[in-house]
Amino acid sequence: MFSHNFKYTLKILLKNKILLFWTFAFPILLGTFFHMAFSNIENSEKLKIIKIAIINNENYQKEELFKNTFTHLSDKKNKDRLFSVTYTNIEKAKKLLEEKKITGYLIFEKENIKIKVNENGINETILKNIVDEINCNQDIIKTLLNKNIHYQKIQNIITQNEVKLNNITSKNLSYTMIEYYTLIAMTCLYGGILSMFITNYKLANTSSVGKRTSISPIHKLKMLLASLLASYIVQIIGIAILFMYTIFVLKVNYSSPIPYIILLALLGSLAGLSLGISIATLIKKDENTKTGILISITMLGCFLSGMMGITMKYIIDKNIPILNKINPANMITDGFYSLYYYDTLNRYVLNIVSLLLFSICMILLSYKGLRRQKYDSI
Amino acid sequence: MTVFKTYFKIVKKYKGMILLYTILLILFSGINLSTNDNNTNFTKEKPNILIINKDENIGITKNLIHYLKKNTNTKEIENKEQKIKDALFYRDINYIIYIKENYRKDILDGKNPKIDIKTTKDYNATLASQILTRYIKVQNIYVKNMQNEQEIIKNINKSLEKQAKIEITSKINTTQIEKMNLYFNFASYSLMAIIIFIICFILTSFKNKNIHKRITISSMNYKKHNRIIRKASLLYVFIVWILFSLLGLILLKDTLLSIRGIIYMVNALVFAFCSLTIAIMISSLTNNKEAVSGIVNVVSLGQAFLCGAFVPTQWLPKNVLTLAHILPTYWYIQTNELLKKLEIINLKEIKPILLNMLILILFSILFIIINNQISKRKQKIE
Repeated sequence: MFSHNFKYTLKILLKNKILLFWTFAFPILLGTFFHMAFSNIENSEKLKIIKIAIINNENYQKEELFKNTFTHLSDKKNKDRLFSVTYTNIEKAKKLLEEKKITGYLIFEKENIKIKVNENGINETILKNIVDEINCNQDIIKTLLNKNIHYQKIQNIITQNEVKLNNITSKNLSYTMIEYYTLIAMTCLYGGILSMFITNYKLANTSSVGKRTSISPIHKLKMLLASLLASYIVQIIGIAILFMYTIFVLKVNYSSPIPYIILLALLGSLAGLSLGISIATLIKKDENTKTGILISITMLGCFLSGMMGITMKYIIDKNIPILNKINPANMITDGFYSLYYYDTLNRYVLNIVSLLLFSICMILLSYKGLRRQKYDSI
Repeated sequence: MTVFKTYFKIVKKYKGMILLYTILLILFSGINLSTNDNNTNFTKEKPNILIINKDENIGITKNLIHYLKKNTNTKEIENKEQKIKDALFYRDINYIIYIKENYRKDILDGKNPKIDIKTTKDYNATLASQILTRYIKVQNIYVKNMQNEQEIIKNINKSLEKQAKIEITSKINTTQIEKMNLYFNFASYSLMAIIIFIICFILTSFKNKNIHKRITISSMNYKKHNRIIRKASLLYVFIVWILFSLLGLILLKDTLLSIRGIIYMVNALVFAFCSLTIAIMISSLTNNKEAVSGIVNVVSLGQAFLCGAFVPTQWLPKNVLTLAHILPTYWYIQTNELLKKLEIINLKEIKPILLNMLILILFSILFIIINNQISKRKQKIE
């Protein structure tokens, strides 16, 4: 009886195109969109060469230090090149700025230097910082000359100045990974649609097949377990395909031993499955409403764990941690995040335990609602 | 009137869906619009940094921290490894500076000690690095040439004080326009989803087999019936557009009531019309409501991701943008981006904008033609 039930549930699930779309195809499509949209984000946040103009007047020709520094910083051979400089007159510079072809331009007046820019921004700030730095060096030279130190020696001191910064940042710092982790979380929870569909199918008050199976003389628990096992397997196949796709096509970095990832995915799917059953049994409404509720819970959970904006997860984690502690989507996302970014396993284990607890609670709740159901009339 | 009334009865049934997408839009713009106010004076960008000081807070160390606090946003984060790690990962801080024990003593002994840092390697981190490097350079020079700590500090601060004058030339208030642009770009997603979802559901309801049969045998001419449906759909699109414009007015206030703002709204109206034609085309493809919700999700989310409704277009890879040319949303968002950059608005300048709107209209015509072809073929089969 067990194998019979198992086989037919599998057939029913695999023939339902809509269910398969939501659990198999939709996550892959969404992952492809993520990949197309986000693949460039972190690169484009790195510094690009800043285009500026300098008014080439008499005053500028007198400023040796500025001339040398800007030549150095716009030298194409320089590894730390910052600027691309156009030397021009004031009318042309104004025009370039108006057309947003340059970030800003410098005018050297007798006593001071003016920077003209279009707007507030990072490039503008960097330009200002560099000008300030050159100004500062000029001041240093003046101070040291007053102390009777030879000009050549001061030049040496300035050029041989070494700043020892030791970068101890860990390697894995790519925050777009969170997007893919939420995608896995979403797929795990969407898998609940399968178990919900199956539970509805077996309940006497929701389908005619349910009525018929209810009056048949078989053990209900056994029957339900066989069906749920089938839906779990379909769900796992979906997750496995998604994993293959993210690893081999989208090149997502999970950066940890595979057994940990598999365990997390299995428990995540179990959480989705238990969520599906509990909604199917505890909410006495038609199937569309139940699907709506499941999708809303999943989407809300994914929203809070960073799917529509990665900072959302951080904001919640920081300010309302309890909300994300009970959010199954976040347990899965956070599990992957801790595997990716943390060196220790403590946080990962915490998420694994939470997922287990969540699933057990949901299953116990639905067990209470499912057993010893009797109807006088339906 | 019966058809018309039924149409809006179904709209009412799906009001939850309309509400959901509207709330998404409000949430999204709420988060992004609440940041810094309008400004035509130059304000320096300040990177967010964290200083972890293990040294005594006196003398040279104190001066370094004071300087950093003045030039960056120094965040206070509970000194727990996990909190600090998370803050760096989510770019709450861009740069961490670890000041070691005996830092001051080592400096005064002329040792030039190493400073541990953590960086997110983005714009802000580069900025923070610049600020820190500049300070240490100045400090190194004075430490080598002076003995007295107070004299060193005094000279460091004097040299670092030199500031160039900076002016903003542009007259237009870029931050406000930037906000308006963000709002309308994200609105493309909400607009399209609300219009396609609801109209597809309504049209498929009318096409339900039994209902369709009943309509066919009724005394109403089918031409009249179709005309009413068309009019009701147009009215619905118009109402949604008004709703979004009003919402924009609440969120953006008088920025929207400029010529620029009005062009933004007109662009949205053209786009809404284009979405309507997409909806009609999709509903002629299938009568299955569940399939409709799958198609609509892919169509609206896909366009939003690939055309720059969620991620600013300058951050999208070039090949994705090239691909996006075949999607209507791309042209809508391009118009918004062009509008954002306009300094003066005259007929010559808005020519490319009008051209983009024309492309949207051509898209609509194309969708209508496709729809007609599909329905013709389906009728023949029936």
